[in-house]
Amino acid sequence: MPENELVEGLGLDEYQYGFIDDEAHVFRTRPGLSEEVVRQISKHKEEPEWMLEFRLKALKIYESKPMPTWGGDLSDLEATLDEIYFYVKPQDQMERSWDDVPSNIKNTFERLGIPEAEQKLLAGVGAQYESEMVYHSLKEEWASKGVIFDSIEDGLKNHPEIFREHFATVIPAADNKFAALNSAVWSGGSFVYVPKGVELETPLQAYFRVNQERMGQFERTMIIMEEGSQAHYIEGCTAPVYSTDSFHSGVIEIILKKDSRFRYTTIQNWSNNMYNLVTQRAVVNENATMEWLDGNLGSKLTMKYPSCYLVGEGAHGDIMSIAYASDGQHQDTGGKVVHVAPNTTSSITSKSISKGNGRSSYRGLCKVYEGANNARSNVECDALLINATARTDTYPYIEIEEKQATVGHEATVSRIGDTQLFYLMSRGLTKEEAMALIVRGFIEPIAKELPLEYAVELNRLIELEMEGSVG
Amino acid sequence: MSSSPRAAEAPVAEEDTPSSLDESAVESISRGAPSWLSERRRHAWSVFEDTPLPSTRSEEWRYTDVSRVVDFADLRLAPDGMPAENGSRPAGLTAAMEEDLAASGHAVLVDGNVVHVDLDPALEEQGVILTSLRTAVNEHVGLLEELLATEVLPPEEGKFQALNAALWSDGVLLYVPPNVKLDLPVRATRWLSHAGSAVFARTLIVAEPGSQVSYVEELLSEDFDKRTLVSSAVEVVARDGAQIQYVSVQRLGRGVFCQSAQRTLAHRDSKLDTLNVNLGASVTRLDLNAQLLGAGAHSEMLGLYFGDQDQHFDHNTSQDHVAPDTGSDLLYKGALDDRAQAAFRGIIRVHPDAQRTDAYQTNRNLLLSDECRANSLPNLEIQADDVKCSHGATVGQLDSEALFYLLSRGLSREQAERLVVLGFLGDVMARLPLGGVVEKVTRAIERKLEHV
Repeated sequence: MPENELVEGLGLDEYQYGFIDDEAHVFRTRPGLSEEVVRQISKHKEEPEWMLEFRLKALKIYESKPMPTWGGDLSDLEATLDEIYFYVKPQDQMERSWDDVPSNIKNTFERLGIPEAEQKLLAGVGAQYESEMVYHSLKEEWASKGVIFDSIEDGLKNHPEIFREHFATVIPAADNKFAALNSAVWSGGSFVYVPKGVELETPLQAYFRVNQERMGQFERTMIIMEEGSQAHYIEGCTAPVYSTDSFHSGVIEIILKKDSRFRYTTIQNWSNNMYNLVTQRAVVNENATMEWLDGNLGSKLTMKYPSCYLVGEGAHGDIMSIAYASDGQHQDTGGKVVHVAPNTTSSITSKSISKGNGRSSYRGLCKVYEGANNARSNVECDALLINATARTDTYPYIEIEEKQATVGHEATVSRIGDTQLFYLMSRGLTKEEAMALIVRGFIEPIAKELPLEYAVELNRLIELEMEGSVG
Repeated sequence: MSSSPRAAEAPVAEEDTPSSLDESAVESISRGAPSWLSERRRHAWSVFEDTPLPSTRSEEWRYTDVSRVVDFADLRLAPDGMPAENGSRPAGLTAAMEEDLAASGHAVLVDGNVVHVDLDPALEEQGVILTSLRTAVNEHVGLLEELLATEVLPPEEGKFQALNAALWSDGVLLYVPPNVKLDLPVRATRWLSHAGSAVFARTLIVAEPGSQVSYVEELLSEDFDKRTLVSSAVEVVARDGAQIQYVSVQRLGRGVFCQSAQRTLAHRDSKLDTLNVNLGASVTRLDLNAQLLGAGAHSEMLGLYFGDQDQHFDHNTSQDHVAPDTGSDLLYKGALDDRAQAAFRGIIRVHPDAQRTDAYQTNRNLLLSDECRANSLPNLEIQADDVKCSHGATVGQLDSEALFYLLSRGLSREQAERLVVLGFLGDVMARLPLGGVVEKVTRAIERKLEHV
């Protein structure tokens, strides 16, 4: 088989979950964005006055900020934004138990390969169908520990004080254009509060799904980890394939208090017409540890740079990411670590694979402020190119103001080596198997950190593509 | 030498009133020049006027706020001729020149104008050309029309490139015919004497197929209490199989903004290496672009900087691999003391056809004080798949093990620290060991280290 055809087969191109459910909406705003739309959203959600004011202020900031000229190509985005619906509410009532979840949504989950039995095993499932939480359950033992795992709207309603104290403190509306947009029209997302000393062993999971053509999704998640607490939050998203562009712009704020430990895992597999522009950031206090595990497989363009602000002495931040860019895709991803306090440490490990005319870019920042004595940071980026038309970029920013700091950055670019292939084939593997093995080996250091079901799915996706390339 | 060209246009002005940086300056420089050159200058001026001053919002100027460094309205073009009343050379200039006796030829520039050129007669006989650009404009028209401020480093490259292309007063042309090899380097010494002036000079080096040459230039001045601009445009072309080494040692005084734009074109099987040593000036900005245009071309790109007090260095490099089977290897190392700041922004671009590219890029910074600051952005853009590319950047402090070892051998802390810094910077020069340069740079670093 010619090399070209062979490599065409290696990828995650065919969108596996490209099915569409019937739409059944109760309320949605007009397409496009205006003050009127923002007021409607706030009114519909029965929000307090301060939130409406926050949203309107954010809208002004959004309008005043220019489109970013760096990162991916956003030239078509403005037109897209005029056409999307900024708010769609699928159901009036929040679901209480699994039996009440509408069958079309259950179908969606089943086609995603998540059996009902497994759902129940998961400690608390907040499934985001379109713009809002429709199903939400939380295991009783957790409730008894005082853990809150709610939709963001319920967080605002039921825990107004904790909510207002932390909301938009990590990512203010003026942080960037898309954070401002999210601040104006946010809808859906999770609110997580883990009290002092509570350790959760089973991960919190939320499934995201965007389902209506031209519909934007502006989820907002806020996570507060009290002193000494531990938890793991998993978010995965898939979306059906549509012909016109779609848009997703989330804001994830995480606060880790002293000695807490938190891991946030995202696997993003949006269909290839999606703009995915996400701001996610954690503020890490004394001796706390934040870990971002970020997988970007889908979307047309993703711009996402999980960040750790290490503000307390001894804080640690870890960012691990995998990016896969196939035909028509641009993954502009990376990570940011900002060292503010002494003895803080961080590491960024990034692996990217580019195929066809796909482009993956690592964009990262390592900043050490004066006074962050003995800060240590290490950044490693590896890129694998599957064929000659693929592209990879590395843009690491290193800004050091402190003498007593040790910072290193390394990046390598390679392709699947002929000698590697030859060796594996001489041991009896087909070329497809050999290539799959090399790709799996390449991402293994990060894939092994994934929850088992995600790692299995990732491996299966790679194998599926190999099957397609045989004869 | 003619008197200040501005005088004719502004009758009230005295004979030697220095000229502002404006359109009339372009016109008076162009007077009497061939039309292709005047047109080129006018075009460059219009590009300069149409190009906004770079702001820190642009990626390439993220770490240098040039609006605080230079004010074009404040600057005056440096007057022609020798500065000293009796025509003798400043002590600093002669001292530097005395160290440069072993050479194939010399060029001396004062305030951007060539005041002396000499070349080994044997080389002259073989067709080597070393001359001032003012002379070359009339004597080597074909070469200049083809290459000067147009194809290699056009004004469209940026605000400062355009300004230089419009207002350059003089510079050096070095031309080496096919298969001629120069054993000793050609040395240029550039002296600056007027505080508050703006000096625009260019260098054009062309090495024909199979030839070999090295060019070392040194920039020098006293310290100034007024903001002064030294602008350089360096264009280097290595034809098939040629070998060029270009070295710049910058030891300008405080008060100077040293702006240098350099581009090197490496054709098939050529070897084109550069070394930029930046020790002086208050603010230094280097834009260096290496183009690997023919299979087998290779460029070594070395840089070394050492900042103290409030010095600011901004190195902006790029490696363009256009043809397949090309290589480049960049190493920029710097040490920073006091409140000095350094920024490095480098990019390796592997173009779609440049298969089997072998490209490296490393920036290492050594921080010696609590207030100094280093920023590093080593970038990669890869559009071919069969490549070997990697880059690395580090920022760190003095190697404590090395220090401990030296202390245990009886050295004082001061001596040990100096040795470690010298060792850290020294390995850059070890990769381009040109006679005279290593010693000169080492001495300059040692002098700076005495203040540490």
